[in-house]
Amino acid sequence: MAVDALTMTVLVLVYLAATLVIGYLGYRQTKSSEDYLVAGRCSHPVIIALSYGATFISTSAIIGFGGQAANLGMGLIWLTVLNIGVGILLAFVVFGKKTREIGQRLSAVTFPDLMGKVYGSPFMQVVSGVVIIVGMPLYTAAVLIGGAQFIRETLGVSYSTSLVGFAIIVAIYVIFGGLIAVMYTDAVQGAIMLAGMTILLVATYLLLGGVTAANSSLTAMAPLVPANLVKGGMTGWTSMPVFGSPIWLTVITTLVLGVGIGVLAQPQLVVRFMTAKDNRSLNRAILVGGPFILMMTGVAFTVGALTNVYFYQTQGKIAVQVATGGNIDTIIPIFINQAMPEWFVVLFMVTLLAAAMSTLSSLFHAMGTALICDVWGRGRACALSMRANQVGVLVMIIASVIIAFLMPGSIIAIATAMFMGLCASAFLPVFAVAVYAKKPDTTAAKASLLTGAIVWFIWALFVNTRYASVYGLCKAIFGVSSLAGLPWSAVDPLVIALPLSAIVVIVLQLRADHREGAGAVPVAA
Amino acid sequence: MILGIPDPQILLGYGLAIGLALACIVYGLLHWNEGDGSNGS
Repeated sequence: MAVDALTMTVLVLVYLAATLVIGYLGYRQTKSSEDYLVAGRCSHPVIIALSYGATFISTSAIIGFGGQAANLGMGLIWLTVLNIGVGILLAFVVFGKKTREIGQRLSAVTFPDLMGKVYGSPFMQVVSGVVIIVGMPLYTAAVLIGGAQFIRETLGVSYSTSLVGFAIIVAIYVIFGGLIAVMYTDAVQGAIMLAGMTILLVATYLLLGGVTAANSSLTAMAPLVPANLVKGGMTGWTSMPVFGSPIWLTVITTLVLGVGIGVLAQPQLVVRFMTAKDNRSLNRAILVGGPFILMMTGVAFTVGALTNVYFYQTQGKIAVQVATGGNIDTIIPIFINQAMPEWFVVLFMVTLLAAAMSTLSSLFHAMGTALICDVWGRGRACALSMRANQVGVLVMIIASVIIAFLMPGSIIAIATAMFMGLCASAFLPVFAVAVYAKKPDTTAAKASLLTGAIVWFIWALFVNTRYASVYGLCKAIFGVSSLAGLPWSAVDPLVIALPLSAIVVIVLQLRADHREGAGAVPVAA
Repeated sequence: MILGIPDPQILLGYGLAIGLALACIVYGLLHWNEGDGSNGS
């Protein structure tokens, strides 16, 4: 560690204490189950924007995807384009306002609850809840691991203590303060992240001699791209991979489309729309949300790629050669420690902690309420009980901690893309129909939800090499890493599952509309 | 080559990312007072 251990420890403890105080303020304002579940439906626009952004951006975007940019180059900027265009503009303008209106009209308090009420189907509510309970703990565990690894290195305590202690700190304000505490702490954490990433961008370009000089140096390093990446289609760090090559497919389908589109239907983000008092709050939130996301992912991807220039100028190596054990998740932390002044190392570490905690708290809340409101407690008196939902959050936190202990390392970016891809494949088409169709058809929704989820899992388990290697099922059963060759083995499950689930819901919804229209004629006559 | 980046696709990506962020600011300002009331749109 580059900085004085005592200074770092004190500042981290001050940050954690401040977080708990803010969480306590949220707890004081939490009087009813509606406060606990949807923050009383009266959140301030800036709180909505920063909470949405800070939940959206975890350590994964900064460390995991920053490392990917160091390896694969600036092409990841296209993910920022989708993050803003789809994740903010489309999400708030097209989906957010309708979601808020329908959620308020139907008194929906969770994403699965919204699905169940719009479609008039307990099945939709329960299955949506089950997808969250099954899929979200993997992503949660990945974020938890990232935070725990940082605390271990910073405070010098064991990994187990870090993991459990980190989970307990977040658990305290999520369990007691509900969504109000989560969003208050998110907003403060978002402000810290914004300051940290802004300084990182400016400092990096100053260090490397300015924008044009730094980028030109990176362009001139194209001949240093490792042979295996050149073979895969990479052409340099300031140019896109060869169209249709394995690396192009990975960058575009998994990293850009998988995460860029997947964000639209993430339950922990959709619920943010239901916390707004009116659409004016959402209009104002867009103003803050767009620039915030630009400064998070845009900076991470740019600085990630530029680390190659720094390492080459100082050590004669490219970034991936400096990474500890070849683990690209270590590139950004190594760069910060070696290139930045001590005070910034401390600020950046707190930035990372804030990014991890803001995402983690929202995931805990979404999983716990899905368990009680939508699955176990659905139809029972306890479904909207604040006490029961607190127990649900606690159960899912314990489950996430157990999974975190069982999961392998270097999985942050993959777990993020997997969860977002699954959400998009299963939820996006039915979510779009739910907010825009005049009479959403239940059969169409059920078929689409199941098609998206099942096809995504089959493709992830047996076709996509990256995901199949994580699960290990394909190797165990068939003795191979993928049942298909290139290019299919490099294609993300989302690219197959999402169009299929969309086609299913469109065809069946149109058929239902046609029947409705045909049936209406004799009645009208 | 602009700002040291030779590939138009990368430059287009940066241009769109910054342009969309600006579009968010403009949208927020233009619709600052729209959608008032609990059922406003």
